[in-house]
Amino acid sequence: MKTATADWRSEMADLVRAHQAGIWRYLRFLGCTSAEAEDLAQETFLTAWRDGFEVRSSEATAAYLRAVARNRLLMLRRKEQSAPIWVDLDVAESVWAEVAAEDGLDDYLAALRACLKRLSERVRRAVEMQYRDEASRDEIAAALALTAAGVKTMLRRARTILRDCVMRRLEQ
Amino acid sequence: MNQSHDPNDDELRDRLLEQALREVLHKETPPDLSGRILSVLDHDQVVLSGTDQHVAKPKTRRFRLSLTEFAVASVIVGLLFALLLPALHAPRKAALRMQAQQRIRQRGMADHQRLPSPYYLHDDVGYLPEGALPFAENVLPDRTRPGQNGDRYERSLDSPFCFVRESPLSTFSIDVDTASYANVRRFLVQDGQLPPAEAVRIEELINYFDYHYEVPGDEVPFAAQLEVAECPWYSRHQLVRIGLQGRTINPQKSPPCNLVFLLDVSGSMDSPDKLPLLKRGMKLLVQQLRDEDRVAIVVYASSEGLALRSTPGTERSAILAALENLQAGGSTAGGAGIELAYRIAQENFVPHGVNRVLLCTDGDFNVGVTDTTALEQLVAQRAKAGVFLSVLGFGRGNLNDAMMEEISNKGNGNYFYIDGITEAHKVLVQQVHGTLVTIAKDVKIQVEFNPATVSAYRLIGYENRVLAAEDFNDDKKDAGEIGAGHSVTALYEIIPVMTDHEMPVVDPLKYQPDRLTAESDLSRQELLTLKIRYKEPEADESKRLVFPLSDSGTSFEQASTDFQFAAAVASFGMLLRHSSYKGNATYESTLEMAAAAKGPDEQGYRAELLDLIRRAQLLTQDPSSAQ
Repeated sequence: MKTATADWRSEMADLVRAHQAGIWRYLRFLGCTSAEAEDLAQETFLTAWRDGFEVRSSEATAAYLRAVARNRLLMLRRKEQSAPIWVDLDVAESVWAEVAAEDGLDDYLAALRACLKRLSERVRRAVEMQYRDEASRDEIAAALALTAAGVKTMLRRARTILRDCVMRRLEQ
Repeated sequence: MNQSHDPNDDELRDRLLEQALREVLHKETPPDLSGRILSVLDHDQVVLSGTDQHVAKPKTRRFRLSLTEFAVASVIVGLLFALLLPALHAPRKAALRMQAQQRIRQRGMADHQRLPSPYYLHDDVGYLPEGALPFAENVLPDRTRPGQNGDRYERSLDSPFCFVRESPLSTFSIDVDTASYANVRRFLVQDGQLPPAEAVRIEELINYFDYHYEVPGDEVPFAAQLEVAECPWYSRHQLVRIGLQGRTINPQKSPPCNLVFLLDVSGSMDSPDKLPLLKRGMKLLVQQLRDEDRVAIVVYASSEGLALRSTPGTERSAILAALENLQAGGSTAGGAGIELAYRIAQENFVPHGVNRVLLCTDGDFNVGVTDTTALEQLVAQRAKAGVFLSVLGFGRGNLNDAMMEEISNKGNGNYFYIDGITEAHKVLVQQVHGTLVTIAKDVKIQVEFNPATVSAYRLIGYENRVLAAEDFNDDKKDAGEIGAGHSVTALYEIIPVMTDHEMPVVDPLKYQPDRLTAESDLSRQELLTLKIRYKEPEADESKRLVFPLSDSGTSFEQASTDFQFAAAVASFGMLLRHSSYKGNATYESTLEMAAAAKGPDEQGYRAELLDLIRRAQLLTQDPSSAQ
């Protein structure tokens, strides 16, 4: 009995380890809070496993798990009856499938990390203050001696540069 | 790039970027769910015996409450599955399992031990071996987070028990690192909290202490001492200790040193426990320099620079002045710091001497080489050319523990964590020869267990050092280094043959040649044979040593005090790791065991362990401080 247990455990642990970060990120992308994403990701794997899920190719597995995760989210929102899903799920899925079909966004993150390094010191500072420190626009403006509008423009341009850079890297 | 003009699409791409930015900038990280998921499934008992079909059993109550509708749906689906598809489904599942088992056997236990938490999945470090299989027991607590502050650790699972009849060989690389002990100490003493389980590497805890092993003669670089006695946390089991003692060297006769310090002087190092502590530690080292030794200092922050050209020990004041001038500032953007350090080491290369780069940092290795793999390759390549790398870790908040260990391994060096001036003194003064002078490299241990006397064994610690059996004789396979005077201790928990009935039942193997029964009485007494392979520091071919061990039927109390102390340290480590193999070990029993085995303890290291156990005990009792 014990040895049999070890087998399915390692299969399951494999599955979870390979896909949990991606599913969690996907749920965040669909608008879940961090805690919701955590619970729903757990339910996603349990559901898939209990439904007798079979591991196929990495891409098919990821897509299957995303579908389960999406359904879990819909059911949660339906039950809450309060928080509508503002994201267009179909568009979200196609955006996701384009950049993170099977790697759970790992490549995207790696590309982004590389792209961040190429920003000028000043722009990177603004990006870090905004996304890491959650500084207000006025705080960033004060730190960089800019107007609030200037910060807004700078950040918008930074996002465009980063998006282009990441996509270029992913296409390579 | 082909961007759509759909406003939704554009907005979502922005959203994705912002989410990715938060993750890249460490504002948020995906949680690790494997422990939770597996434990829910354990409670579910999803597995039926024998054929291993999945059947959706009723869910746990907690789960059902939140998901009533779906519970019904999935029970129906599951039952349909079980009723209609077993004929198709079972053979495929069975085939998959057999493949997986096959892989485990083929690779020994090399790869699948590592189950990194997903915090590293986003990292560009290759933590995840391809097709890796984690082992059965997930012993880590359900929700381990990386330090709230960004320290990074790698998770590794406890090695499981292995049946001797199935895998009689246990192979691993030695490890004399002690960083984990200093790190644990810092958590318990300075931070007043229990360390995260993954920060505890039991072998590094054990190896922190000196066990007074006999020093070898001149012809071999180290001696081995084996001992076996009753296992303190499970009296039906036995504990085997393997102790290796490296040759000591006369300080006067130690080879000349060519040291290049590569110092992180970025803004984050500007804290009393980082750069200032590093300077104090280096001053201690400088005081012991001899005339023929050389030191250079390379710093890196916004740009790399040579803070001190390679300077002989005769100009001690120049070295001290350069140290004094070091200041932290600037972001860790790094230039070609590490390459500069290696170049200087190469330019001042001392044949048959100690040529070593010492990287001192609080965290990231943004030292000029863009990606981690390239960095590892560079380090491994330079180690081959004779310049080794050691890493000294400082401070908290940004500590990349996993990476530091990895890179020092690649560089034929060791990883130390300096949590205070005492530790600096231990690493840079007391054990400076061990720190700097390598007496043997690529040291591998292989233990062959005797199936006539041992039914199963478990290696305690060394989880990320386990090698495949065939790697033992493969001289190309990198392994650990041992420094002058260093000792290495490894413990095995073994299950003697007579308690066989307690093991999970496996059918008797049909095709195992039962040679042993035919052979001499010797095979009935010996527990195991220890084989060691090592290379001389400058050699490419390995040498081999062999030691057998017989069971003397010693009780734990009769064992040597060093044996008892090592067992106490191991049991402390298992408690901190929440190991499922801890048996009946408790902090009380561990404290008692360690206190009884303290011995003379001139330097007070063992007394310190007692203090740490007490602290951990208090923290465990106080639920508000337990994380």
